[in-house]
Amino acid sequence: MKSTFQISIHDWHLFLLELSRDNAVYVPVKTYNDIDYKLYDEDQTNIVYNIARPVTPLKTFLLPVKENVVIEKNKYNKKIIIGIPACDLKALEILDEIYLDETFVDHTYKENRERSVLIGTDCHEICENCHCTSYGIEPYPVNHADASLILMDDDIIINIHTTKGEELLGKIAPAYPFKELQAENLALIEAKREIVKRKLDENNRLLPDYTTTGILIRNSSDESWLKHSKTCVSCGACATICPTCTCFLLIDRPDFEKVRQVDACQYPGFERIAAGEDPLHKKSVRFRNRYLCKYVWKPESFNSLACTGCGRCIDTCIGNISKNKIFIEMHASSHG
Amino acid sequence: MTVTHNIYKPIKARVERVIDESPLIKSFVLIPEHDFSFRTGEFIELTINGYGEAPFTPSSSPLEKKKIEVTVMKAGYVTDKIHTLKAGEVVGIRGPFGRGYPVEKFYGKEVVILGGGCGFAPIRSLLYNLIAEKDKFEKVILCYGSKTPEDCIYKPFIDELRKVERFEVYRSVDKADENWKEREGVVTLLLDDINVNISNSVAIVCGPPVMMKYGTLKLLEMGYPETSIYLSMEKNMSCGLGKCGHCMMGKYYVCKDGPVFTYDEIRDLPDIWL
Repeated sequence: MKSTFQISIHDWHLFLLELSRDNAVYVPVKTYNDIDYKLYDEDQTNIVYNIARPVTPLKTFLLPVKENVVIEKNKYNKKIIIGIPACDLKALEILDEIYLDETFVDHTYKENRERSVLIGTDCHEICENCHCTSYGIEPYPVNHADASLILMDDDIIINIHTTKGEELLGKIAPAYPFKELQAENLALIEAKREIVKRKLDENNRLLPDYTTTGILIRNSSDESWLKHSKTCVSCGACATICPTCTCFLLIDRPDFEKVRQVDACQYPGFERIAAGEDPLHKKSVRFRNRYLCKYVWKPESFNSLACTGCGRCIDTCIGNISKNKIFIEMHASSHG
Repeated sequence: MTVTHNIYKPIKARVERVIDESPLIKSFVLIPEHDFSFRTGEFIELTINGYGEAPFTPSSSPLEKKKIEVTVMKAGYVTDKIHTLKAGEVVGIRGPFGRGYPVEKFYGKEVVILGGGCGFAPIRSLLYNLIAEKDKFEKVILCYGSKTPEDCIYKPFIDELRKVERFEVYRSVDKADENWKEREGVVTLLLDDINVNISNSVAIVCGPPVMMKYGTLKLLEMGYPETSIYLSMEKNMSCGLGKCGHCMMGKYYVCKDGPVFTYDEIRDLPDIWL
């Protein structure tokens, strides 16, 4: 089978139905006002392709909100995740650096990673706060996907990138009619990519790049963060929904079992020690800490971006805080 | 080093003996289910089954493989529970984790150790290590402070230490009683009493955050280079693996990159003394 081909959406959904008998197949589904992954079944409606990122980051499949990390799991079938945006694929780099660090490999993450087949997609739509291109990320899958797909008219265009992708999607060939990728579709894909990139660049023309943002944060005054964090309620939503935030709480269970649960440095007491001292006691310090971590400290220790510009933290903030607005303001101030 | 077993799963250890060190501090001698090695200054996570887990640097000799001893101050949720442990009970241990004391870098030098309160625990382990290699050091000076005479821990060990050639012991208490014959005042005062060749010396500090701060400032004032001051940082080490983020101090995961740092490594990070 060719690594790039197209198949009718009708046949694609028949194929997904077949896959879903033995695997957990997740597809992006439009609900009342959001797009999120749902388990595929034949009654599933409102599946959407080439859209902006789903609410849930890819991270959640690999680092579930709660997971027992001591007991041996029963073998389960593959998770096939369809419609992953480029920002979430890029975020895998820092997750892998931390969780697959060769000194201490997190076997649960590794197993989740190995059992997942990642199918990326181009973003033909973008959300208000999307800003991947400002950090040098293209709004379409470049790395880390096993395959990628785009819906063009009534055809799904599939591009296979890895052996794992080939093992899964190679099954299409004998069973379903497929076509060579039409040249005009290739041109349309390229044209669409340019349009989306231009739109993202235009939307974020005032936003400083990743390195500049780090310098601005490092040089900022403590007082300025009192103002920026004024409406923060320390709910931790920004961190838990972030595709690159990786902190967790280890909870003890009987029989010396341990459960790894998503945690956030925005919660009071996150760094408190037994005697009561807490470096992140003040809300404004906690708030700044998250950005120091992403833009200053992580770049000093890791090779991967700790923000991939998905904008979920802005969408989700009940304090109506936009980090982008903060950084634009800081950047403008730095230029007098 | 690559670890292949489940990094979150503790091994079991039986409490062999509980030693009352002071009204707030107890030591627990543990027998792990199999041999357990650590380098001095590295730490372990001690699990109370189904209840919680907390980090401790063993206070025993790193040369001992069959037993491990931890010294615990009653200070919070997990340590309160640990203090109820009795001989025969079973706990879990994970580790060892982190970067301990680089003892080989101390060879040929005068080693000054400044300790306070329960911060004596990692120091005692270090001292066992130094005693075992005592001919490799010019001299070793221990300055140890606690709040009151009854808060002074490891009394039998102190008596033994005073007998070791080229090892000196100085102690202070914040508030003395009528039987106290050593210094009264903060521990940093002891540094005025010692005779040390700073150009051929390293200093090691371990204790409560406020003591770490003023101890370091005093050592700097005495002329110690920032690269010769070794600090054992106390943070909320939880996973021990450089992943969970609770012990982050600037770019460092204290559990993995520390807990022992030289002052120059951490000087510019925010809130290091909290």
